[in-house]
Amino acid sequence: MKDLITKEHVFKHSIDKIWDAISKAEEISTWFIPADFKAEVGYKYTFNSPDKENCTQITGTVKQANPYTLIYTWMVADTNVETTVTWKLEKIEGGTKLYLEHSGISNYPGDTAVTMFNSFNGGWDNCITELAGYLTKEVHAG
Amino acid sequence: MQDKITKILKAIADPTRREIFHALVVAATALPITQISSQFDMSRQGVTKHLKTLEDAGLVQINSKGRERFCFADTKPLKEVNQWLKFYEQFWDDAIDNLGTYLDQK
Repeated sequence: MKDLITKEHVFKHSIDKIWDAISKAEEISTWFIPADFKAEVGYKYTFNSPDKENCTQITGTVKQANPYTLIYTWMVADTNVETTVTWKLEKIEGGTKLYLEHSGISNYPGDTAVTMFNSFNGGWDNCITELAGYLTKEVHAG
Repeated sequence: MQDKITKILKAIADPTRREIFHALVVAATALPITQISSQFDMSRQGVTKHLKTLEDAGLVQINSKGRERFCFADTKPLKEVNQWLKFYEQFWDDAIDNLGTYLDQK
């Protein structure tokens, strides 16, 4: 058990293509979460517009944004608990390796964690399902 | 005051405490402190200190019976931490999947 989630994934796509996908608002909004985002240190971003029902809002500040490392804080609406998300890209033979890290999860107080978790779960599921639906439609349309 | 999850994570951050906890889980019954300390080749005082940290986190229950104190493992608090981690594990797995699909179309 740890206070850290790490993910590694190898894509066959070019490093710049992936960098754009994770750092440009328009692209983030397409595959991840509707975003007001700029890859500039100090930029206060928002994921999910507050008026969108059932989608929990995430806010944070960009801490580092130079190719190919992107670090931002991650605060879920109404929790005031800051966690940190780090994206790192590395060029490898035949593609790009993505390293993703989410740390500070134990900063969530126990009770908040459970309450939030329950409400959040439904919210995120909706967002993700919508996104998956969107992507599927795109695939079929394209 | 420390919150619950912090206490749990702190309790299981130490390898010796994890071993003690593991031994209690495997035993599936209450064990006297004297038995635990002989099993771990540790002073009773040392074991008691670790058990106290585990007890604070709700991972161990200590009951006195006569002159001996019995310890019993409780795994329920781990579920809370696990639930959290599991949620985000899934969340990021899905995100990476979506990113892959997106990149394929781009």
